[in-house]
Amino acid sequence: MNLLTHHPLFAIALTLAAFLIAAWLYRRSGWLLLQPVLVSVTLIVTTLLLCGVDYATYRAGAEPVAWLLGPATVALAVPLQHNIKRIRQLFWPVLITLTAGGVLSVALTLAIGWALGADWSVVMSLAPKFVTMPIAMPVAEQIGGVASLAAVMVMLTGVIGTAMGPLLLRWAGVEHPAARGLSYGINAHAIGTAHALQEGEECGAFAALAMSLLGIGTALLLPLLLA
Amino acid sequence: MMVRGLFWLVLLQFFGVALNHWLLPMLPASIIGLLLLSVWLMWRGAVPEPLQQAAGGLLPYLPLLLAVPASGIMTSSDLLLGELPVIATALVLSLLVTVPFCGWLLQTLIRRQERKG
Repeated sequence: MNLLTHHPLFAIALTLAAFLIAAWLYRRSGWLLLQPVLVSVTLIVTTLLLCGVDYATYRAGAEPVAWLLGPATVALAVPLQHNIKRIRQLFWPVLITLTAGGVLSVALTLAIGWALGADWSVVMSLAPKFVTMPIAMPVAEQIGGVASLAAVMVMLTGVIGTAMGPLLLRWAGVEHPAARGLSYGINAHAIGTAHALQEGEECGAFAALAMSLLGIGTALLLPLLLA
Repeated sequence: MMVRGLFWLVLLQFFGVALNHWLLPMLPASIIGLLLLSVWLMWRGAVPEPLQQAAGGLLPYLPLLLAVPASGIMTSSDLLLGELPVIATALVLSLLVTVPFCGWLLQTLIRRQERKG
């Protein structure tokens, strides 16, 4: 049994199966909380725990799928280019929203975490939670957080933000695709961008814009501000 | 054609690896690659067909690609598990405010700009 569950094909088949089930469930139910990433992760983690496979073994096996995330991130430049006119037009509104949203997001999370009495290193790992994962980890370490913890925070924010996003935006009466996209990108980074691309290309472009600009800004500024 | 586009994406990420190593240790290679491609596409003014195909093939599967690293959540430490209720509450409460706020702010600013223009 171990021979099968530790075979690289097990990891690949599990990842593909989890995604297909999640995508099918999302389409069939139409229920916004059932985000494909959330359902896929739940299925993958449950199966790994049941089969007694650790994450490192799974990660190594799933590499043929996972490596494509790099080129896919680079490919976000394509929807950005398609909407470049719109982005140029909205340069100042976007910059103001990114700054206000980014600052509010960090301040609020830190304040609530602190008020609820979380451990200081946990609070510091929450600080870069709104930037995309590969940026969050080194930033968290530089300001005294825990890198792996920061990665988990980013995933949690992405999953929760994407699940609640559509409902919250509808409730706030936000219909403009650029405004929806920017909010997904600020609050749920990569997982939010994946969802925004499914809402439409303009929405996806503004999510990718928010995710990359906020990520770059945080990586450059946060260590300086807290130094 | 799709492979030609994929080759460009991989090559740009690879340039990103080099720049990350020597110049920009704070930015991950894929984000540097995204910046390089954005600058090149802006200068060129249009998206070449192979790149269009590669992006069209990859981007709809972002949730699939993200599921692998996101499953790393299972390695979270005891520290996290102990504080999970507090963390989840902090995240949910702040998202309840920031998601509508960011969307509302940009939408308001766009409408104001449209009225002026």
